[in-house]
Amino acid sequence: MGTAAGRTFGPLLNLSRVQYSYPSGLTAVGGVDLSVGQGEIVAIVGPSGCGKSTLLSLIGDLAQPSRGSIEWTDSAEHRDRRLAMVFQRDTVFPWRTVNANIQYGMECLGMPKHERRQWTADLLKLGRLEGFGDVYPKSLSGGMRRRVALLMSLAVRPSVLLLDEPFSGLDEPTRVELLADVLKLARELKLSAVMVTHDLGEAITIADRIVVMSQRPTTVRKEVRVDFGSERNVYEIREAAEYAALYSELWHALWASIRGEL
Amino acid sequence: MTAVPPPLPIAEDADMDVERTNDSVGHRRRGDVIVWSARVAVIVAFLLGWQYLPKVPNIRKSFTFLDPFFISSPTLVAKELRAIATGQHGAGMIWAPLARTVITAMIGTLAAMIVGAVFGLAVSNWRMLSRIARPFLVVLNAIPRIAVVPIIVLIVRNSQQADAVTAFSVVFFLAFYNAVEGAGTVPREMLQSAQLLGSSNLRIMWKVRWPYALGWTLASLPNAIAFGLTGTITTEIFTGGSGLGYQLLLGVDNSNANLLFAIVVVTALVGVILVLGSAGLRRVLLPWWESNQTT
Repeated sequence: MGTAAGRTFGPLLNLSRVQYSYPSGLTAVGGVDLSVGQGEIVAIVGPSGCGKSTLLSLIGDLAQPSRGSIEWTDSAEHRDRRLAMVFQRDTVFPWRTVNANIQYGMECLGMPKHERRQWTADLLKLGRLEGFGDVYPKSLSGGMRRRVALLMSLAVRPSVLLLDEPFSGLDEPTRVELLADVLKLARELKLSAVMVTHDLGEAITIADRIVVMSQRPTTVRKEVRVDFGSERNVYEIREAAEYAALYSELWHALWASIRGEL
Repeated sequence: MTAVPPPLPIAEDADMDVERTNDSVGHRRRGDVIVWSARVAVIVAFLLGWQYLPKVPNIRKSFTFLDPFFISSPTLVAKELRAIATGQHGAGMIWAPLARTVITAMIGTLAAMIVGAVFGLAVSNWRMLSRIARPFLVVLNAIPRIAVVPIIVLIVRNSQQADAVTAFSVVFFLAFYNAVEGAGTVPREMLQSAQLLGSSNLRIMWKVRWPYALGWTLASLPNAIAFGLTGTITTEIFTGGSGLGYQLLLGVDNSNANLLFAIVVVTALVGVILVLGSAGLRRVLLPWWESNQTT
């Protein structure tokens, strides 16, 4: 719901006092307040193992909070699905071609065939995968496979795209390219995104707002606004003075989190 | 006879945007030359040793089994192979028993693959069923199959059917365990992703678990064929009715080492052809299968 570069984001998703404990009694998420606006990209960074991925699964409805609530505004209901998720691990079906992979979610929605075909062609174009529709994933590079996973989740036209360290393990130029893709797709499809990452540069490159989490049980330690706007050039902002300033500010917050300072 | 897990899906040419340099290709070619000449050298040395070591007097005296009467020789085996292929010199022709063994093994193997895969998927999908069945399956699979052959022969009087049933019983567990393993090892994230995209449980079973398990099961096809052939020939030796197993019995009864070695060569050839053929079939049936195996 914050503002960035003069933009305001209408409310979409609101977490209040969200807490999660494993059946063993270990508390991973301890009272998180967080909001995500329409069209806003929020990055979540924090010490490794702090519970940020668990927080994302709570938003993704893959687990239920032990306490607190996650509320969606009506605007989330105007899409085919409220959310979709891109995982760190490869979730592309190897037995389906790129086209068939992208169409999986559309089949689940019961979308008519001609509509499926048109939407798939559009998505392939947006994801720079034209000409690869009939190819099996085994002959794609790592970066292309990630793009297929991205398009698979966008196929159901979600309100929010959840990204769980989706680009780790890729080389830097490929990662920056993919971030540019996400930014473009989010802008054109008018979606919001919540991305968990351990990479501060990745967070600054893409986010409108960055949330630094504390050690487990994790809570929001600091929120930082990023005012590059949605038309930013991800290749150039890396050299901007604001980028370096943000990096330093986030690094201090993250480092304090890692050392468990209050 | 445990299920052999196929290699984890690792992209075979995931680095397709990275062009292989000519240098590395040249390197590979040089390596190939060394590998192939070493292989040929091993074969030549083996055949020469087999043929001529028994002719060295001292060696023949200290190792009495090194006698063409027991171990035959490459030239004698070659002669025997020609004889059983053409029926010269009153030798029995190999083709009818060979066809019988191969057909029996293939029927048993294919039936076992299908039934095993279906059972495996069913068991892995119903948690209660899988919990009930688990100890029984472990015990059943632990029984050496050869110990069951007499019982199969006793029950199934027709010898060819008995051969096929043995092949079936050997291959069934291979297919079954691969299907269970496959369906049970679908990555959690893949299931969650399918769920978030709107899959019902039924759709996840048919559209995610089933193809995943099918991949694992068909990946074991070359192994399955080899097992099926072993099971069939073992039972043939036992029932003594016909097939390659019966030819082996004849060789023993007539102290005909030439025939025994010739049959071993034939089974080796058949085994290799079936394994290569099934690998080809797998490529046709599973064009998407990712393998990091190199040959």
